Amino acid sequence: MRTTILCAAVVTIGLIVSNTTASAHHAFSSEFDANRPVKFTGTVTKMMWVNPHAWIYVDVKKPDGTTEEWMVEAGTPNTLLRRGFTKASLLPGTVIKVDGYQSKDGSLRANGRDLTLPDGRTLFVGAEGTGAPAGPAQK
Amino acid sequence: MKRQFLSSVLLAAFAAAVIPSAFVLAQTGTPAASKPSPAASKPATGASKPAPAAKTAKPWTGAKTPWGDPDLQGVWNDATSTPMQRPAGKGEAVLNEEQADQFAEQLANDLTRDRRDGGNEVDVNRAYNEHWMDARRLKITNDRRTSLIVDPPDGRMPPAVPISPERQKIRAERAAAAARFNAGMPNVATELSLPIRCIIRTDSPPYLPTIYNNDFQIFQSPGYVVIAPEMIHSARIIPLDNRPHLGPNLKQWLGDTRGHFEGNTLVIETTNFRTDDGTVYQGANPETYKITERFTRVADDTINYEFTIDDPKTWTKPWTAVIPWNKIDPKEQMYEYMCHEDNFDIVHLLTGARAREKNPALNLQPTKR
Amino acid sequence: MGSRFWRVIIPLGVAMAIAVFSLTALPLAGQQARPARDASVFPAYKAPRLADGHPDLNGMWQAFVTANIDLEDHEAQSGPYPELLGAYTGWPAGQSIVEGGTIPYKPEALAKRKQNVANRMKADVSNDKNWHALGDPEMKCYMPGIPRATYMPYPFQIVQGTSPYILMAYEFATATRTIRMDWKGEAPTDTWMGWSRGRWEGDTLVVDVTGQREETWFDRAGNYHSDMLHVVERFTPLSPYHMMYEATIEDPNVFTRPWKISFPLYRRTEKNVQLLEYKCVPWTEELLYGKFKKGTK
Repeated sequence: MRTTILCAAVVTIGLIVSNTTASAHHAFSSEFDANRPVKFTGTVTKMMWVNPHAWIYVDVKKPDGTTEEWMVEAGTPNTLLRRGFTKASLLPGTVIKVDGYQSKDGSLRANGRDLTLPDGRTLFVGAEGTGAPAGPAQK
Repeated sequence: MKRQFLSSVLLAAFAAAVIPSAFVLAQTGTPAASKPSPAASKPATGASKPAPAAKTAKPWTGAKTPWGDPDLQGVWNDATSTPMQRPAGKGEAVLNEEQADQFAEQLANDLTRDRRDGGNEVDVNRAYNEHWMDARRLKITNDRRTSLIVDPPDGRMPPAVPISPERQKIRAERAAAAARFNAGMPNVATELSLPIRCIIRTDSPPYLPTIYNNDFQIFQSPGYVVIAPEMIHSARIIPLDNRPHLGPNLKQWLGDTRGHFEGNTLVIETTNFRTDDGTVYQGANPETYKITERFTRVADDTINYEFTIDDPKTWTKPWTAVIPWNKIDPKEQMYEYMCHEDNFDIVHLLTGARAREKNPALNLQPTKR
Repeated sequence: MGSRFWRVIIPLGVAMAIAVFSLTALPLAGQQARPARDASVFPAYKAPRLADGHPDLNGMWQAFVTANIDLEDHEAQSGPYPELLGAYTGWPAGQSIVEGGTIPYKPEALAKRKQNVANRMKADVSNDKNWHALGDPEMKCYMPGIPRATYMPYPFQIVQGTSPYILMAYEFATATRTIRMDWKGEAPTDTWMGWSRGRWEGDTLVVDVTGQREETWFDRAGNYHSDMLHVVERFTPLSPYHMMYEATIEDPNVFTRPWKISFPLYRRTEKNVQLLEYKCVPWTEELLYGKFKKGTK
C-alpha cells in the first residue's frame, strides 16, 4: 500500500530548522561556488580539529612543479571524536583526495565535499593508514 | 474508503492519547509549585497528566536522585528525521510498521549527505558527507509519528497572525540580510545570523534537532537541574526553589528559566528574552512569547522532551511538539564546541564579499550541465 | 585652682587613661595575642556530604583576587584610552598569588611574555594562519581556560550530582567545563577549557587538566604557556562560605619547574543570586571584523 504522505513536500520541509532562519545552518553555497568544482590530490600538512569547522591544510603539487597550499573546510570534529577518532587520526604526510567546491572569491579554499584516500576508501571510517580509532574515550 | 477509515481511527487514537496533555500545557496560569520530595520508596504520583504517546504501555518508574528528584542525568541525543510539521495534504498522525519503514527510508534518502545527484547547485549544499553528520538524524521517532508537532492535531503550526508594521520591517531586513548571505555578499558581521556569529545555536529554546552535535548533558544537584547543550557550550541553570524570575530589565539571549517537578516531569518556563532578532523561535515577538518545556523520563534510555510555544501576536493558538531524547553515554560523550574562538568563516565570508565587489570577474556564471 | 589640684588630677587622668587603654587591650581569656585573620586559623571544617559521601561543593563561587590582571604583584594602573574614559578604565593593584612571588620562566621564554604584553590590545584576524597571534584572548571574548577562569572577576557555579561528571559553569562568555570523575581516557584533541579529570583525596577535589589550547593566557600581563601545559587543581572546603583553591602549573617548554598559585574562593550568598549572562562576543565584532565590512577602505 503506497502511503500518500510521502511526497516531494517532505524534501522541502524535511530538514529540521533551528530557531533562527534556515540560512543559519550554513548554506555552503554562500561561500563556495557551485561553478568551481575542484578535484585534487595532495599531502596533509596540518589538520585543525576545531569548531565550527575543522580545517585540513593540503599541499598540492602542480604540473609545473610548484606547490599550492589549499585549506579544506570540513565538518564539526565532535562527530568524529564520538566515534573514537582523535587528533592523531589524520597525520601530516597523509595523501588524500579532495572533491569539493572552491571559494567564490577564488582563494585556495574549498569545502571538502568528499575526502578519500587515493585508493578510494573514505577518510574517517577506520581506514588503515590514517590512524584507526582507538575506541571511544575510556572511563 | 477503508484506508481513510483506518487513518481516522489511528488519528483518533493518537489524538485521545496526546491532545489532553497538550491542552493541559496550553492552559495559562501558574502550575502548582512542588518542592522536591524527600527520598521515597515509591515514585510520586503527582499531577495527573497522561504520558505522551510512547511505545511502552506502562509508565516507567525510574530512579530518583538521593534528594528525591526524578533522575534525568546523563548525555542525551535528540536527532531524528521526523519532520516538525506533517507534510501538507492528507496523512496519518502515526504510521503502521510498513508505512513507517517507507517513510523512514524516504526521509533518510532525502537527508543523506552521501548523495551526489542533482547537479552542483544542490551538491555544494550537501557538504559534508555522512561521516561528519549525526547518523541518528536519519531515523524517525520510535513511535512512528509523522510530525514532531502533536498539537494542533493536524501536526502543523497554527496559522500566523498578521504582524505589526514594525515587525514586518524587521523581518524584511532579516530576509534581505539572508539573501546577501546566500549570495556570499554579507555587508557586516553583525548582519549574519546568531548561530554564524556564535552567539547562540542549539542552546536557544526550544531545543530542535539539527545536522550534528544534537547532544545535551543534564546535570542535577539539590535544588537545580542544569542542561548543557553541546552548541554553544552554555549551561542552562534551572533553580527549582520557586524563586521569582529576574526583573523585567534583566534580559538574556537565552532568557531566564525556572523549573519545578510535576510528578516525574520537569516543567520549565522561560521569560526575559532579549528583543534582538533571533532570540525567540522564527521571528516571534519576544515580549509576548511564552515557552514551556517538559522533560519526562519514560524509559531508562529515553526522555520525552515536549515544548509548547504560545505567542498570540505570532500564531493564532499555542502549539506543542514532542521530541524523544535518547541516552548516548557512557559509550559516547559530549565535547567542547568552541565556536567564536576559531570562527574563520566570518572573515572568509566578509573578505570574499569585498574581493568580489572589487573584482566582479571573480563571479563565475553558471555553466550548463 | 591651684597647682595642688593639678598634681592630683593629671596623674589621676593618666592612670585612668592607662586603665581604660589596658582594659580594651586585654586579650580574650585563654589567648596570648590576637591572631592574624588567616584562613589556616579557621577551625578544621568538615563540609556537608552528598549521598555518596563526598563533600558537597555545589553553589556559586567567586574569587576576589585581581590575578586576572596579573598573577604577580601589580600596581594600580590606567587601562586603555584614559583620555576618553578617565578612571572608568583603571585596573586595581593586587598582590601576587604565586607561591614565591614570581613565575619561574625559562630566561629565553620571557621574551614572549614581553611580546604578549606589547600586543595584548591588538587583534588581526585577516589571515587564518596567524589568527591568534595578537591580542589577549580575554579581550576577544575567547574562553579563558584553566586556571584563569577560576580567578576572573565573575562568579561560576559548581553542579555536583550523582553522575560521573561535575560541571563548572562560568559567567564569563558562558564558558563551561565538565570534570570527568575517575576517568582514564586522554583528551582526543585540545580545547579552550582543557580536559579535566577529577578524583577525591579526602575532602579535596583534585582536578588534573591537560589538553588545553596553547592560545589561552593566564592573565592580562601576557603570562602564557605551551601545549604541554599541565594543571593540577585542588578545591578544599574551608567553611560553609569559602573554599581553598590551589593550582600547580607545569610546562617544561616555558617554565624551569612547576609553580603554584592559591587563593580562597567565596560563596555567593545573596538571596536568589544566580549566574547571569556575560555574552561578550557581540562586543568584539567591530574589533575583529570591522575592517572587513562594506565600505571600509
